[in-house]
Amino acid sequence: MSLEFLNAFKFMRKDSFLHNLDPRAKLFLAIVYTVSALLFNQIVPLFFIFLSLIPLVIIGKIFRQWVKSIRGLSFLVIFILFLNTLFISLSFAIAMILRIFIMVSAFSIFFLTVDPNNLALSLISMKLPYEFAFSFSLAFRFVPTIAKEAQNIMDAQQSRGYEMQEKGIINQIKNLFPLLIPLIICSIKRAFNVAEALESRAFGSKKERTYYYTIKYSLKDWIFTIYLILFLTTFIVIKIQFNLMPEFFSWSLPV
Amino acid sequence: MDLIRFEKFFYRYKGNEEYALNNINLRIEKDNNFVLLCGETGPGKTTLIRCMNGLIPQFYSGFYKGKVFINEVNTVETSIANLSTEVGIVFQNPENQLIAMNVEHEIAFGLENLGVPRKKIAQKIEESASLTEIEHLLDKAPFELSGGEQQRVAIASILVLEPKLLILDEPTALLDPQMARKIINLLKEIQLERKITILISEHRLDLLLPFADQMILMQNGKVIEHNTLEKTINGDNFQKLNLNKPVIYSIFMKLREENLFEGQIPSSIPDAINSLKNR
Amino acid sequence: MIKDVMYTYPNGTLALKDINLNLYGGEFIGIMGKNGAGKTTLIRTLNGLIRPTHGDIYINDKNISSTTIATLSKKVGIIFQNASHQLFANTVEDEIKFSLKSFNLNKEESQIRTNEILHQFNLEKYRERSPLNLSGGESKKLAIASIICRDPDILIFDEPTLGQDAKEIESFLRLIEKERENGKTIIIITHNIEFAFEFIPRTILMAEGKIIADGPTQKVLNCEELIDKTSLILPQSRQFSLALHSKGFQNADTLFSKADVTKYLMQFLKNSSERAQKR
Repeated sequence: MSLEFLNAFKFMRKDSFLHNLDPRAKLFLAIVYTVSALLFNQIVPLFFIFLSLIPLVIIGKIFRQWVKSIRGLSFLVIFILFLNTLFISLSFAIAMILRIFIMVSAFSIFFLTVDPNNLALSLISMKLPYEFAFSFSLAFRFVPTIAKEAQNIMDAQQSRGYEMQEKGIINQIKNLFPLLIPLIICSIKRAFNVAEALESRAFGSKKERTYYYTIKYSLKDWIFTIYLILFLTTFIVIKIQFNLMPEFFSWSLPV
Repeated sequence: MDLIRFEKFFYRYKGNEEYALNNINLRIEKDNNFVLLCGETGPGKTTLIRCMNGLIPQFYSGFYKGKVFINEVNTVETSIANLSTEVGIVFQNPENQLIAMNVEHEIAFGLENLGVPRKKIAQKIEESASLTEIEHLLDKAPFELSGGEQQRVAIASILVLEPKLLILDEPTALLDPQMARKIINLLKEIQLERKITILISEHRLDLLLPFADQMILMQNGKVIEHNTLEKTINGDNFQKLNLNKPVIYSIFMKLREENLFEGQIPSSIPDAINSLKNR
Repeated sequence: MIKDVMYTYPNGTLALKDINLNLYGGEFIGIMGKNGAGKTTLIRTLNGLIRPTHGDIYINDKNISSTTIATLSKKVGIIFQNASHQLFANTVEDEIKFSLKSFNLNKEESQIRTNEILHQFNLEKYRERSPLNLSGGESKKLAIASIICRDPDILIFDEPTLGQDAKEIESFLRLIEKERENGKTIIIITHNIEFAFEFIPRTILMAEGKIIADGPTQKVLNCEELIDKTSLILPQSRQFSLALHSKGFQNADTLFSKADVTKYLMQFLKNSSERAQKR
């Protein structure tokens, strides 16, 4: 489950409404949905919020990946279902599951549609120092490289009789050393190589940096942001005036 | 004025007792040559290269004696960033040099750091990309490229800073032979078109000898020879060094041993044929 | 000894196609091809790291599809390109002992075997040193030692001559000869055409997941078409002999190896000096 699940957060270049939005708008989306989800304990409002995600996912052309991220939660879902039903109620459990779905989806949408490069740029526009934002995007860029290296290390060690599965907790921890140590050493060596290359291209120069690519908030982004603000406001109002809401809003299972 | 001048330079890495560089007095002039740096396996060549743009002594901690000047500026008295427009280094593994999400941004990176205006960056990207023949790759991500393409992008991203000396540390190590040949041809073109000096550290002598104008030989951290190509390969130092001598060299050395051949040892096949015909 | 029956298999994409191969004990085989042609994928199927999605592999007439990697690695040893992917123990000695772990030797036997191997590879002086502190050449030796100490019948090397100078390549050759005398089968993946042409009797060429040639090296590496498909170049001695032929040197196109060309030229020069004397 675990590695497949991570794939659902990997950025893929596509031409869709969501992909073309400014990354800050999408970060706002993730925040708005998370806050909205935390406002409610009842199934119905959470269900509406969840439904409102689906058109977004479709116009973002990321439906399949989004489904994968939801599926990856299945283990967690069963766990929550079990514990919550036992200690509180089935309705509460379902509400909590919906909440998790919403929050995970919101961030999944963010990661699936934001180019790591643009992410760094958006951090910089929020006044974060360049070096910090850059190390962020550098980390992203090297994740697949390090993953490949880890695979190579596993292959090399298995070729000399190393067995991946060991019995007993202590042995399992000891068994990680032949994988972790080469990985750490290689990563350190790589870090030096990357740093040299960066220095050799004037990284850290005292001059004021030019940004060749820029991100700008366009009309599309403002419209979307306003939509999100209205969305959030609506749900805040619903929460505050909850007793004025129609009966079915507080519907819950008899359990 | 020398492009690079070493004055009695010694260097040892932190934690090492032995000196990686012993009394280097090398001078590299602004003569647009294609220089080949060879030596036995060991840290000498890599260390020497890193002195040429300030990485040593500024980035690596160690102990040094003597001075290194780049265009008459002492490398300790200026930043590596400032030196990046004089000397550019392309390292061995392109994987660890490509840091951007697409090729265009990769090439722009160095210029961004130097605060070059955006219009100028666009122009320079175009020039570099056309020289290295990667215009069609500008919007690709680094992992979508082949080894040879990656190496070209790395070269373009350094060329864009317009250094007077381009250094490459074993650029063909990870490439298959045809791609290696293409890259070396490209470097020769760059040398001639941009009129810059190119310094390559390499083991694959049979690929490189036909292109080199000068050679530098290193052994035990010392520069034991710095001469024109002909003089170097006909000298004793080259013969005694534990290098992978090209096939042509071995053949003609044997002929010389048998007293059947007396001329200069040729560095390429056309040369060899000429030598044989002109007896 | 090994019989690869037809198999195709995807790794997301089709990586190997229609591979049919017979390898016999004591052979010395080279596998060459473009980067990405499937060479490393092929060798990974031989020790179980990758299981074919179609077809079978037999080692010593036994189908290995149900044998574990741990067991297979005792018969098939792969030495990968990058030694630092393996080294992790506290001392060089521990590194070897780790490789021997799966043999369930008692302390004494393990120590004896370790001593033997350290002696064979001239690594005794590094016994107590951390493997991470070794030079490039020494760590490569250690990586090889840690596989050979398990005495596999089939030894597979991925790019063993990369970055090695002449002496190191020589000692590698000696190692291979010794192992062959003991009846081991040796397989090498390499880009080093000169090395293959001179020392490896049988070569397999791969392109796009298929085997496009399999036979005596001198023949296989001589076919221009195949060379092109695999991004290789003709060995220097062959390039030279063809060039000689095109410039009027009679029968030069029948020459193959460095030794052939040298003999031919010696004869040629003797004849021409005799002719000159007669005048």
